[in-house]
Formats: sequence, C-alpha cells, structure tokens
Amino acid sequence: MNIVVAMKQIPDLQQVRIRNRQPVLDGVPMTFGSIDKNALETALQLKEAAGGNVIVISAGTEELEDTVKEALAAGADEAYLVLDDELENIESSVSAHLLAELIKQIENIGIILFGEGSGDNYSGQVGPRIAEILGLPEVGYVCDIELEDSRVKVTRSLEDCEEIVRVNLPAVLTIMADINEPRIPSVTQILKAGKKPKQILEVEDIGLDLKGDKKIITLSSLAPENKRKQITVKNGEELVDALLTEGVIRR
Amino acid sequence: MDLRLSKEEELIQKAARDFADKMIVPIAELIDQDNHIPEEIFEALGDLEMFGIPFPEAYGGGEAGYLSYILAIEELAKACAGIAVVISVNSVGLSVINAFGTEEQKKKYMPECMTGKKIFSFAFTEPGTGSDPKQLSCTVTKAGDSYILNGNKRFITNAGFQGPMVVIAKDSETDKASAFVIDKFCEGYSLSEQWNKIGAHGGPLYDVYFDNVKIPEGNVLGRSGEGLWVLKVAMIYGKIGLSGLFLGTAKAAYEEALAYAKQKTHRGQPIGAKFQHIQISIADMAMKYNACRWSAYNLGFTADTVKDPNQLLREAALTKVFVSETAVEICKIAMGVHGSYGLMKDYKIARLWGDVIIGPQVEGTSPLLKILAAGIILGD
Repeated sequence: MNIVVAMKQIPDLQQVRIRNRQPVLDGVPMTFGSIDKNALETALQLKEAAGGNVIVISAGTEELEDTVKEALAAGADEAYLVLDDELENIESSVSAHLLAELIKQIENIGIILFGEGSGDNYSGQVGPRIAEILGLPEVGYVCDIELEDSRVKVTRSLEDCEEIVRVNLPAVLTIMADINEPRIPSVTQILKAGKKPKQILEVEDIGLDLKGDKKIITLSSLAPENKRKQITVKNGEELVDALLTEGVIRR
Repeated sequence: MDLRLSKEEELIQKAARDFADKMIVPIAELIDQDNHIPEEIFEALGDLEMFGIPFPEAYGGGEAGYLSYILAIEELAKACAGIAVVISVNSVGLSVINAFGTEEQKKKYMPECMTGKKIFSFAFTEPGTGSDPKQLSCTVTKAGDSYILNGNKRFITNAGFQGPMVVIAKDSETDKASAFVIDKFCEGYSLSEQWNKIGAHGGPLYDVYFDNVKIPEGNVLGRSGEGLWVLKVAMIYGKIGLSGLFLGTAKAAYEEALAYAKQKTHRGQPIGAKFQHIQISIADMAMKYNACRWSAYNLGFTADTVKDPNQLLREAALTKVFVSETAVEICKIAMGVHGSYGLMKDYKIARLWGDVIIGPQVEGTSPLLKILAAGIILGD
C-alpha cells in the first residue's frame, strides 16, 4: 500500500522577520508547514505498523527539489513533485488540481494525508478539494488512525467531543497538529535524502494554464489587529474586578 | 564565491536546533545546577549521529564534514555548553584515532564512541606541565609485550564516562612522548573528585591517576615516540569544536539580550526602542556575532578542504582565540543590557557568563595559541 502525504513548501516561519506588518523573506530557508510534518510522521508510523511505501507529493518553485530533502530525510521513500517558478502563491484550487494529477500517477494508494491547514495561509481547502476531484471519501480533524484491513478507524477531534468513524480505503484524511511529534532525522538520513527517487513533472505535463485568469487572488492574510485595553490596576482586588468585568474569569 | 549553506548543512543545523529546543532547553538550568547531563540525552544525540558528524561512514560516522559539525555544535552549545564540551572532546579522541589509528583501533573505538554510550577523553595536561610537552611526567615503561603507565593527568574532560582515553606519556627509556589508547576504568585507573568549574556545567572535569596501568603494545597510537604529532592533531580538532561551542554561547548571550531589550519596559516603552545605548549594544553584539560566525564557518570549510596541518593549526588556533574572546565581549555587553538583573543568577545571562568566561583559557590560553600561530606565520 502506498501512503501519500501532501506537503506545502513555505518559508521557515521561525526565521521570518516582520517589517511594517509584512514578512521579510529574503534569505529565509524554505521548509514544510509544521502540520504537514505531523501528516508525514503519521504516514511513517502507519508504514512502521503495517508496511508500505510513503510518497510525498508537492507543487512549488524550483527550490522545492531541495526542500523535499527534509521530508525524504525524515523517512519518506520517494517524492512526486511539480516544479515551476510560476507556482508561487498559487490559490488552493490550482494546488488541488496539480496535486490530484500527481496522485493519479501513483498506483495502489491506500491513504492520502494532509495537514489540517498549510503553514502559511491555512485555508484547509486542498485536501477536501482533492477528495472531490478524485471521488474519494474525506475525513477531517483526524487525531488518531487505526488500520483495519481495507478500512481505517479514525478519531476526529471536534470542539467538545471526539467522533469515531470507519472509512473505506482509499481515503483522504486531514490531520490535526497534536496527533504526534515529528521525528528529527539523523545525519546519515539527511545525507542520503538527496539520493532517494524523485519523479518530477512540469506544469505543462499536467496541462494547466497558470497564466490564465486567476479566480481568486489573495490580497492579504494578516491577523486582525488587537488593540490592547491597557487597564491599570493598583492591587489584586482591582485585578480580579477588571478580569470579571472583561469576562476573562467568572465567579 | 557562494557563502550559502547546502540544504544538507541547513538540515543538520536544523536537526541539532530542533533537538536542542525540544530536549535540552527545558533541562538546561537543571544541568547547570546539578553539573550532570542525563544519559538519555547522550543516547538520543547518538541516535541522531551528532557524535560522529565529520567522521567516515565506514566507522559509524556521518561523513558530513567539519562545517556541518560546527553548525551542530553551535546549536547544541547555544542550549547547553556542557553538552557541546562532551561532544567536542569526544571528537578530539575520534579525530586522532581516525588520523593515526590502525584499522583494528579504528574498528574497535570509533563506532562505539559515536553512539553516545561510550565517550572519548584526551589526556595530555598534567599538574606540572600546563601546555608544555617537554615537562611531561607521566611515564610508560616497556615490560615484555606491554607498557606500564604511571603518573597523573589534570583537568581531563569526560574522564568519568565509560569509553576510551588517549594518553600522552613519556617513554622512560627514550624520553620521547608517545600516544596510547586505554580503556577508562581499567585496573590501575582512578579519578579525583569532579572539578567545580565556573561554567559549561555537565561537561565533567577530573584529575586522573594511573597506577601501573598495563597497556598492550597494540594500543600505541601512531608510531612510538611520535606522541607530539598526535597532540598537534588533537589541538587542531579540539579548536574546531571549541570555535563552534563558543560561537553558540555567544549567540545565546546575544539572543538573550535582544529578547530582554524587547520585553523590558521603561515607562511603558521597551528599552530597546527607547534608549540609544541599548540599541548600540544590540548593534555591537550583532556585529561581533557575525564576525565570529563567518570566522568559525570558514574554519569548518578550511578543515574540510585544507590538508596542510600547519595551515589548519594556524587557522584553528586563531579562530578559537577570536571566537572565544569575542564571545566574552558579547556576553559582557549582553549583561550590560540586563542592567542589575544581569548580575542575578536567576537570569540565564549569568549562567552564560560562566560558560563564555572559560573560553579564552581552555585547551590552550589565548596568548599561547597566538604565539603558536605566529610561529607558523613567521615560518611560512
């Protein structure tokens, strides 16, 4: 069984500086979104439990060919990539079409894993869109997976409860960040990552027109500005009163 | 000239950083207080192959080069200088075995010292010698097909861990120094109490006593009577590790001061935004750290590309002097940014001061290393 993990190349957020409410990306190395790494770790644990092959899929700029070494070092067996410098800041529907075409090239797929949202825009759309394109079942907010022959038992972490569902394979699962702790690769795994197999496609091979009219253009994805109230208190009693008034605590 | 790191170097740096953030930072204060590093940390570092980054794959190493080694040591030292000390000294032992060892010695000692379960020591310094090899008083006497070792060694890092030790001792007949590999805790091997050094806690330091330690002839390292060559190579690779180590402590001090300047307020405004002298301090630290960084990375690159031992020794000595002394300057500025709080042991910067202040005096003082480097420069 092949376990496919979709991962998105993003700048290393730990090294991004903010100037005038805009990220400064010059010289920042590329990596994958943190929840994507949880999805990869899930795939690696499933492989360790039941065997199979872990395949990373991704679409991005030429730099991705280097970035994918991080996933291959962590334990993925091979990678299917679409590389094109036009693939910067592409909208979710385009990503979904590109990745769906990559998935079609892979045989014997059991599970397709996504992080619940990407590390940059966190739209959370690509997984469900791909399920729709490929006509596969999709389960979101996954916090636990148990393999059962041709099905999986999946626990979903909902706001105030957990839901357990069974789903036939192949299926698309989108993973919560707290499902696991991604492993750290060893030095040898890092050095051997570049030698693992990679299938590289160009956008032309897939037949998409990236330069055509874009349906959605993201203008901004900033968090709303929070104005601090800056309430001054003189003692603990006043602090408690202020917290009660603001609804932070209740009697 | 391309100064960018390769993706592999970036990932090794990141692996060390991620491990440090996850496993070391939460217990760094405890390591400092207890002067003890939990064994699980060494085993986990062994699993990541952090003990063997530059050494040949054939003997269990990563074969990733000395630049990668410096990048990893920097990240580990930033979290805990003591852990970086243990790895750096272990690497000194591995380096000399790799350079001078027989195939049998390499197979016996190198793989086990890359797992974190066995850790190398290197024993040269003695109570009466300092760094002067001519005053060695540890002696070996030939007895049949073995040597008998007697004497004391001072300030020996990692001497309390299981594993091998390289010992430099003088042959009582020829009066020439030779290098030997022994197993620590063999018959006749004993230790002092642990020295209570100012910083880099967790990297344990002992005096070692040899009382008729029997060394098989096959444990001579390199050619008999050529122990000072082994010492020279040990000095080179020791300085590479220490350059990465004090770069890491410098960065820790710089980042600590930067965070403090952003967080500490004066009349509602962060001191970094309000006071020019804090801003100048930040700029000074950034400038000095950058100079150290490129200097140390260049040493890693040099170690990966230059074969001439004199050139490498010169670069290693000068880089260690520059980085360790500049790290002290950076930490002093960082303490200044903290004001009176910088003098309190409750603040991390006080721990970092203990870590950096040892730099210019360990593994060859700055004056000694400058004289050594000048001798090479003048002789070229």
